[in-house]
Amino acid sequence: MTERDMLLKKIGTLKFAVTDIDLFLDTHPGDTAMLKKREEYADQLKPLTEQFEEKYGPLTKCENGANTWAWVKDPWPWDTEV
Amino acid sequence: MFVYEKQLQYPVKIKNPNPALAKLIISQYGGPDGELGASIRYLSQRFSMPLPELKATLTDIGTEELNHLEMIGAIVYQLTRNLSMEDIKKAGFDAYFVDHTTGVYPNSAAGVPFNAFSIASKGDPITDLHESLAAEQKARVTYDNILRFCDDPDVIDPIRFLRAREVVHYQRFGENLRLLTDKLDSKNFYAFNPSFDKHCFNKKK
Repeated sequence: MTERDMLLKKIGTLKFAVTDIDLFLDTHPGDTAMLKKREEYADQLKPLTEQFEEKYGPLTKCENGANTWAWVKDPWPWDTEV
Repeated sequence: MFVYEKQLQYPVKIKNPNPALAKLIISQYGGPDGELGASIRYLSQRFSMPLPELKATLTDIGTEELNHLEMIGAIVYQLTRNLSMEDIKKAGFDAYFVDHTTGVYPNSAAGVPFNAFSIASKGDPITDLHESLAAEQKARVTYDNILRFCDDPDVIDPIRFLRAREVVHYQRFGENLRLLTDKLDSKNFYAFNPSFDKHCFNKKK
């Protein structure tokens, strides 16, 4: 696994934790322990996402800050070759 | 509104092509219990839901299904890379190939194009939630059946992830149904349509 893949996997794992908690909160909106847990995971996610985007390009469309539109760059999520 | 994230919900990295398997797995792209149907079912049913928790659940699960559609597309795409005409003929992929080459198209394993008759949006929340609960189980069984044909860990891993999500979604829809019936008359849940006969529902709530 490349360094890029490893970092992306960490991000994906945390993102998934948040997504799964979100679904739980949809039917248990008053669960404060779960709200706290969501915040914890979201807090961990933020610096990793920043680190990834700095190094490998954007995961969502955002401020570009350079002379070329980085969004178009390979790889796309279904590509296998980097 | 939707925002695209340039990442699959769960990684798909398949080393070895297998067009025979792609032909089966594509059923979860555009087949009767596939992810395309799942996403538009939930994203359509949500409009007539009478409670905020139900609107939220259908929106979020419908959105997650779009991730799953993308994962299935990636699996099919990766299983059909670098094929020779010989590979295509031997795998029985020729009938699909003649219409779509190796493009990803929403059809069932038997080649039937996606059909909206495989989903329902009835405008009655008890009916629609039962349809959604059944849909999750049907998709779960389809993944179980797909797994019977898989011997490549690169494929088994993401398919198992998708199967597990069907079970979680079933759980959440079950909670939706309970949240709804808690607000109805336990002697007769079917006295009126909570989405249409709003005056009755608001009195009950």
